[in-house]
Amino acid sequence: MLQAVLQTDTVLLPERLVDLLRLGEFGVVGEFIAGLIAAFLVANIMLIMTAIAGPWAKRKIRARFTDAIAVNRVGPAGLLIIIADAVRLMSKEIIVPEGVDRPAWELAPIVVALSALLGFAVIPMGSGIHVADPEVGVVFVFAVASLASIGLVMGGYASNNKFSMLGGLRAVAQNIAYEIPLVLVAASVVIFAGSLQMSEIVAAQQDTLISLGVVDIPMWFAIINPFAFVLFLAANMAEIGRNPFDTPEAPNEIVAGYQTEYSGIYFVLFYLGEFIHIFLGGAIIATLFLGGPAGPGPESLGFVWFLVKIWAVFLLTQWMRSAVPRVRIDQLIEIGWKGLLVLSFLNLILTALIVGVITV
Amino acid sequence: MNDWIAIGAFATIALLIPVGMVAASWLLRPTVPERHKRAIYESGEVPTGDTRVRFNIQYYMVALLFVVFDIETVLLFPWALVYTDAIGEVGLFHALAPMLLFVFILMVGLAWAWRNGAVSWARSPQADRRRATNQ
Repeated sequence: MLQAVLQTDTVLLPERLVDLLRLGEFGVVGEFIAGLIAAFLVANIMLIMTAIAGPWAKRKIRARFTDAIAVNRVGPAGLLIIIADAVRLMSKEIIVPEGVDRPAWELAPIVVALSALLGFAVIPMGSGIHVADPEVGVVFVFAVASLASIGLVMGGYASNNKFSMLGGLRAVAQNIAYEIPLVLVAASVVIFAGSLQMSEIVAAQQDTLISLGVVDIPMWFAIINPFAFVLFLAANMAEIGRNPFDTPEAPNEIVAGYQTEYSGIYFVLFYLGEFIHIFLGGAIIATLFLGGPAGPGPESLGFVWFLVKIWAVFLLTQWMRSAVPRVRIDQLIEIGWKGLLVLSFLNLILTALIVGVITV
Repeated sequence: MNDWIAIGAFATIALLIPVGMVAASWLLRPTVPERHKRAIYESGEVPTGDTRVRFNIQYYMVALLFVVFDIETVLLFPWALVYTDAIGEVGLFHALAPMLLFVFILMVGLAWAWRNGAVSWARSPQADRRRATNQ
């Protein structure tokens, strides 16, 4: 009933490409090629964003918080450092430490990067950029994003280094502790939206909640249920391993955690995977709580609004990095299992009760 | 159009990008292996002992708990999906009460694990004693 009204006819990016390039006559092969092109576009958007965020934006933001200047020598505002860093990191020697588990050690960075990239397959980015929209979108994105833990523990264990092993163990303990609150809070959004499909969750947030004169307050789940939003933000911070939950790489405890022994391009892949993971976390927050690509102006501006939202989440992670201390590993486990887990169960029950009362 | 074809295509790209980056770097990078360069990093010291050190049992306990709660979230999702429709069909009580009972049983389990110290960091008396004597 409710879902039927909200169901919108979204045209996915591969479908549009099939029409545009007349790939329809090739059947499944044509669809696959269209999917490849769409995926290539979306993945490259993410790579470009990471390239801006990693070598440049991160340093600049941190510098602003600590009253420093950061990169300003290469190019205007230091922007060409992106190219300089890319060339430098690509051409660096890879030092293979003694006694590493060869296939696992080399596969780990690839697993991390793959898991972070693949999550974007189901995210509606507005302006018609949406690669796939399966009925189990929410479950898919969480399943894929948590594959990264396997890569982290692989890298940590295969590195033949004590710091790496502790880092890998910490990463996995943290990811599994905060995965459950994350998914439970997402379940409360599913109760509201009545669907696991990303496009329908976005569509369920399009209506206006209340009009305040000229400003229409939209029905974003962050506004309907701020409690769930805060819980999700906190759990997401731990899931992407940022401050105050960056114990897996804690530089002044265990060097660099699971990536201690990685150099050259493998280090880049770990780094890339982490940044894309931050953006994926931002994209999930935007989709589930902030109305996806919704915003004022025409619908073609959707992608801009989507970018604004995920960069806002990125800025939040960098702000946290400058402002909050790291929690200890024992505190981390206790916050996760005793605090967030119980609160997220409460949130689920409260949401179910409220939705039940409204529907009845 | 099947969504999973597009996701398969995306997975191919998501695999090809890191592999392509490794390949590009392989063409560019130098390889100068030296014996001491390849040593394991242990704050500049010569590495001592085995890498596979003994670690806190907590990592294992937490992983066990995770299996329980992860399966539980899998069981919660179908309920969350049909919840609003179910209220219309069988009423609020019948839609909500079974899940409340299910969550209640899980919370009892969590309380049990909590009381038995499965979710608080395990301390080793031996290590504590050693730390006390070293100071």
